[in-house]
Amino acid sequence: METSPPTGGSPAATDQVAQALPPREGTDQRRVLADQVELLYRQSVQSIVATIVIGAIATFELWSEEYSDLVIFWWILTLFISALRFLLYQAWKQRTDQDHDKWLRWFAIGALATGANWGFAGSVFFPSHADEQQVFLAFLLAGMSSGGIPFFSAVWWVYGLYAAGIMLPFAYVLATFGNKLFTELALLIPLFYAVNVAVSVRLSQVFASGFRLRQAYGKLAEDYSTLNRQLEGQLEDLAKAHREVEESGRKLTLFVGASPIAVFEVDQDGTILEVNPAAENLFGLSVTESLGRSLPRTLIPDDEPTLNHAWWKDYVARHEPISGLRARVLRRDGIELIVDFSLTPLISHSGELLSIIVQGRDVTQQLESERLKKEFTSTLSHELRTPLTSIIGSLQLVNTGVMGDVDAELIELTQIAERNAERLLDLINDLLDIEKIESGKFTIYPEVLSLDELVKEALVLNGGFAERYQVRLQVLGTLPAVKVSADRKRALQVMTNLISNAAKFSPEGSTVDVSMDISNGVARVNVHDRGPGIPESFRGRIFGRFAQADMTATRHKGGSGLGLAICKRLIEMMAGRIGFDDREGGGTTFWFELDIIE
Amino acid sequence: MPADELTRICYVEDDEDIQRIVRMSLERIGKMTVEVVSDPLQAIDTIIAFKPQMVMLDWMMPGMDGPTLFRKMKATPETASLPAVFITAKASQKELDELRELGAAGTLSKPFTPKDLPSQLRAIWAALP
Repeated sequence: METSPPTGGSPAATDQVAQALPPREGTDQRRVLADQVELLYRQSVQSIVATIVIGAIATFELWSEEYSDLVIFWWILTLFISALRFLLYQAWKQRTDQDHDKWLRWFAIGALATGANWGFAGSVFFPSHADEQQVFLAFLLAGMSSGGIPFFSAVWWVYGLYAAGIMLPFAYVLATFGNKLFTELALLIPLFYAVNVAVSVRLSQVFASGFRLRQAYGKLAEDYSTLNRQLEGQLEDLAKAHREVEESGRKLTLFVGASPIAVFEVDQDGTILEVNPAAENLFGLSVTESLGRSLPRTLIPDDEPTLNHAWWKDYVARHEPISGLRARVLRRDGIELIVDFSLTPLISHSGELLSIIVQGRDVTQQLESERLKKEFTSTLSHELRTPLTSIIGSLQLVNTGVMGDVDAELIELTQIAERNAERLLDLINDLLDIEKIESGKFTIYPEVLSLDELVKEALVLNGGFAERYQVRLQVLGTLPAVKVSADRKRALQVMTNLISNAAKFSPEGSTVDVSMDISNGVARVNVHDRGPGIPESFRGRIFGRFAQADMTATRHKGGSGLGLAICKRLIEMMAGRIGFDDREGGGTTFWFELDIIE
Repeated sequence: MPADELTRICYVEDDEDIQRIVRMSLERIGKMTVEVVSDPLQAIDTIIAFKPQMVMLDWMMPGMDGPTLFRKMKATPETASLPAVFITAKASQKELDELRELGAAGTLSKPFTPKDLPSQLRAIWAALP
């Protein structure tokens, strides 16, 4: 019984994890970038709101009749940029791609625009307004620069663009204002910018390491859940395998339990580990008595050469499967049985002998019936032939006339008796032959002989039989001199059978022609008759046992119906072929072929 | 080929009917002198007394079978050189080969043809060295 092994042991599982988890370096950077971009966009709403609120305060503070158009323009520009950034935020939220670089570029443009808008405010409104408003503006711009740090520092250069947008125009205006103090302030602005950017760089590094940690944690969690999934799969496979093993175990138990064959499982020393009910019944040993006992010592008689203790030691060293091992076995009640054993060693993957399955079938009865059958055949052969010898012999002595003149009608009757006694003898011989052939006990004794001589001999031997049916035997053409390898007696038996069949079924006064052909190293002997031919329905089974085309013919012509079956087997045992064809002009040609030796 | 013609035969056979048929065949057709022995255990003595040219033995007989009797004949100086022919219903080629190996002059199968029996025996006789 075969069970599918559970998929993946521990080393295989490790391999699978390694395959499931992709290489990390490049992907991690992409994921950190994605996190940075996400942080920028998520904070952009607050930054937009702050821009609008602070923008509104600045508009209110800087309002004057003189510059109203410019202030309103700036306020509208502020709202416009904020709206665009908000739209960008919406677009990002509904994005379908993962092109983080693109979204970062657009965000940086928005940040630069926001910064530049404040820079525009500083550079336009600073020169045009009074001192206190100038102070307000300076503070406002410084605040906006510093306030942008948390909003834009996820990517430091985005902050750098934003802050540059604010400070560069403002520094230029201060530097060109014509006031010594302002010029000095303008010189300080790049320093302020540099400090802010440095803070932003540091902050972006903190963010990035946070993101990396988050990614690493995410990876770990992902690995963990992958491992978990695989573990679950393996557990499932294991449970399935367990079920299969259990199921096959149950089936095995059922088979072994219900088997009529005795089954033992024994260890290397021949100690019985398991035993099935058939073994208990066969050897008269209960399970409790059997387990732990030595199988060779318990069951095998000391004088039995097979399967005894010494044999067993030798077998364990070889431990090959063996079948058809016949041995005498002592049943518990002392009765001796003949048992055919098969031994199947169970070998581990590492080649170690685990145990040996010993199956035993009681053949005592079978051997006894075979012996009886053989005895019966032998008895039949002797006891039937002996009285027939007397009957045929007596009748022949009368019929040959050596006993003096006998009444013609009496001779007719004794001739009938002799013919029928011979039929009976043929029948017995046929039955014995077919029995021997079919039980495989028939041996042929091939010799090199002249087939043409054999054919001539058969014609002489069967001439008398043919005369009885008023049929003449004759050779058609010439018989080529060839040597074949054949059993002389059995080849004559085949010839006799074919010729007598032909004679029996030929019309009175006709001839049975015998011819020989040679082709491709094969000699064919043909026996042609002018009989009624072989009916279509009978052709398939003509060489079968008890084959008779017409049972009424059997009664008239005699024959066991075994003749052709015997012929076929005999010819095949001599490596030849036998068959028949319709004869031109009516009748049948039976033939057999044998390979030519010379 | 022996110089003399075959005229004296001793036949060991337990079946009385077959004894009579063989006797009639050999005496009437073959014009031979025949001595028949029913009990194989007394055969050696009879053979020594009768001095046949050839012995015919049945295979299966109660008391002692043909091959055993033949071995006994071989072991007895007076009968050791007598040619023996077996008449047997056992047609197995293997057993016939065994008989030839034992030194049998020939074998005839049962049922035999009484008409041809004398000529068959004479043919075996003629083939002897």
